[in-house]
Amino acid sequence: MKKNWVGFAFISPWLLGFLAFTLYPFIASVYLSFTRYNIVTPPVWVGLANYHQMFTQDPLFWKSLSVTFNFAAASVPLGIVAGVSLALLLNLNIKGMSLYRTIFFLPSILPTVATSVVFMWIFNPEIGLINKFLKLFGIVGPAWLQSPQWAPWSLVLMSLWAVGGSMVIYLAGLKDIPAYLYEAATIDGANAWQRLRHVTLPMLSPVIFFNMVMGLIAVFQYFTQAYVMTQGGPEDSTRFYALEIFDRAWRYLDMGYASAMGWVLFLIVMLITGLMFWTQRRWVHYEG
Amino acid sequence: MNTSRTIWVLIPVLVLVLLVGYMGVRNHEQAAAPVHKRIPVYYWHMWTSEWGLTMNKVVDDFNASQTKYEVIPLQIPYGESDTKFLTSVAGGEPPDVMTQWDDAISGWSQEGILQPLDTRMTPQELEFFKNGTYSGIHNNGWYKGHLYGMVMGVDVYACYYRPDQFKAAGLDPNHFPTTLEELTEDAKKLSVKDSSGELTRVGFLPTGITNFAPSFGGGFWDPATSQVTLNTPANVRALSYIVGVDNYYGMNNVMRFNSSLKSQNGVSWPFIDGSFSITLDGEWRIKQLEQYAPNLKYEVAPLPPPAGGKAMASGTAMNYLTIPSGARHPDGAWAFIKFWSGLDHPANSAKYNADFYWLPSSPAMEQSPDYQAFLKQHPHYKTFVELAASKNLGVSPPVPYQLYLKDRILNASDLAERGTMTPEQALTSLEHEIAVEKSRRKELGYDQ
Repeated sequence: MKKNWVGFAFISPWLLGFLAFTLYPFIASVYLSFTRYNIVTPPVWVGLANYHQMFTQDPLFWKSLSVTFNFAAASVPLGIVAGVSLALLLNLNIKGMSLYRTIFFLPSILPTVATSVVFMWIFNPEIGLINKFLKLFGIVGPAWLQSPQWAPWSLVLMSLWAVGGSMVIYLAGLKDIPAYLYEAATIDGANAWQRLRHVTLPMLSPVIFFNMVMGLIAVFQYFTQAYVMTQGGPEDSTRFYALEIFDRAWRYLDMGYASAMGWVLFLIVMLITGLMFWTQRRWVHYEG
Repeated sequence: MNTSRTIWVLIPVLVLVLLVGYMGVRNHEQAAAPVHKRIPVYYWHMWTSEWGLTMNKVVDDFNASQTKYEVIPLQIPYGESDTKFLTSVAGGEPPDVMTQWDDAISGWSQEGILQPLDTRMTPQELEFFKNGTYSGIHNNGWYKGHLYGMVMGVDVYACYYRPDQFKAAGLDPNHFPTTLEELTEDAKKLSVKDSSGELTRVGFLPTGITNFAPSFGGGFWDPATSQVTLNTPANVRALSYIVGVDNYYGMNNVMRFNSSLKSQNGVSWPFIDGSFSITLDGEWRIKQLEQYAPNLKYEVAPLPPPAGGKAMASGTAMNYLTIPSGARHPDGAWAFIKFWSGLDHPANSAKYNADFYWLPSSPAMEQSPDYQAFLKQHPHYKTFVELAASKNLGVSPPVPYQLYLKDRILNASDLAERGTMTPEQALTSLEHEIAVEKSRRKELGYDQ
């Protein structure tokens, strides 16, 4: 028992912070979601009004939900494909591989705000790097962030910039695959594609599953890039759910409504994560 | 090391950490405390660079004039100003005076975050405020019959134009169009395309319904009925005008041209680099032109009215001074607001408006020697001063959902300007959105 207390004493700074700044707000937000609250005056109980309005009256709730789901549907699978592909390439035995790995990992440690500002210039339709490059081949590039059709896709493309973070985890997963499996497959006559399809991917599936869950949770909290680059525009095409929560809470001073939105988001993330855990039995293979 | 010894080592360490943290906070508080034995008045603002220096001068002058109060200014970043302010109010430690740049006065007043200011005025001051100041000053900052935000500076918008480009296009550089239709036609002659057909210069490119609605007799607030006005014929005409110009040049061309503009500020302002021959902008650009393009020849004129529209009309933007509800020294805060705004002595405060390059708040301030000297030195300001005295200025709707309304108006204007909706559709949709928001607020128990 005494040993436990020592442990608690060591983690007490974190524990106190967690209780005060995570657990308490988390629980308080359940109550606040049933109130009208502006953070300055005491909350006023409004029952289910916030939830009722959200589902029946607020077009921006549905719009932000749809923007976030579409973004998730595009960026998470693309991120996985890009991350795994990159990891496979960086798993080869080539001279200077450590340098290549560092280069691909670097973007994921850069500050998001700084990256967003740089990408605003890269996506500029007239003087941006991408359209200047396309122009060399006679292609007139799209308006990227200034077009409601292209703005979400621009952010999807930008999300690949930070794929180095998951790539490192895939790389660790690849290193963990026993060499004897490849030897056995090769002896059985499997070609490179067959080895990838029937050895690498199944053995990597726990890592893919982990990155998919983490990626989905991150996507549903997508905020900074949209806040810096588009502020929800043009025409609400990048009005992400987290951005809408922020505006409702701090711009329109409707903390109760924002808390209700936060809880709906939490339940959605829980539901999707639960579904993914349910499906993993069919496609995730754990060694042994 | 056994466990009990570990605990006895850890406890003093934790106590020490907490003590050091507490001392840090105490030291910080002491560092911020006033040097003199006067009542501190904490003032938060967002003025930086040259405006920050001017702001400090106002504070220094106030402090020099005082034996009772001492204003202690703190510059906070604009992007975080609202969140910092609201959390300080929630935590019971708000500043005594706070600058506000957003249209949040009505919303915050409804929530009980701000104190009324008109109740602090003497009858004479109230009389002067209501009848002796310009409409932009006394028409804004109200909620339910009380003034919660004292307007310090009003931005109004006029046309900056370049006579050299008029001359090069075969137009009379000494004649600025007298109607909006004439201006639009002249602007077409001023526009230039390159060999590939892309716009390299646009004569005049209207954008944003809020700046144009007043000229068409529209706007978003009707003071006579105290109602928000959205889908009105005048607002439809204003938005249709903007969309019509976009259509003439081609929406895609306009978008690409706008993308090619480097910056809206400093030396890259499109008017300075010649990308626009005429542009509708605020009075603060004069300072930037003096700073970044001292040799550029330009003129300023009010936006000419459309057929059947209003002359000397403009949209407006304001900055306010407010006193939060939990302010510890509201009397000191009010003394500072009075000093700076010149409520009792307009002529005394004229130098501050001149230093800030702001418009005068009243005819009395305009006529003061300090402001007249400023006008003599900066003759282009006269157009803006005339606009400040106009009755045809846009008013920010004093409704508690002001910021939401503003955001949705911008979105509706954007939808029409991009061609996604017709002006009628965009304003109908806006009206629907606002009706839904009002109904939502009603269900939450708000009276509006």
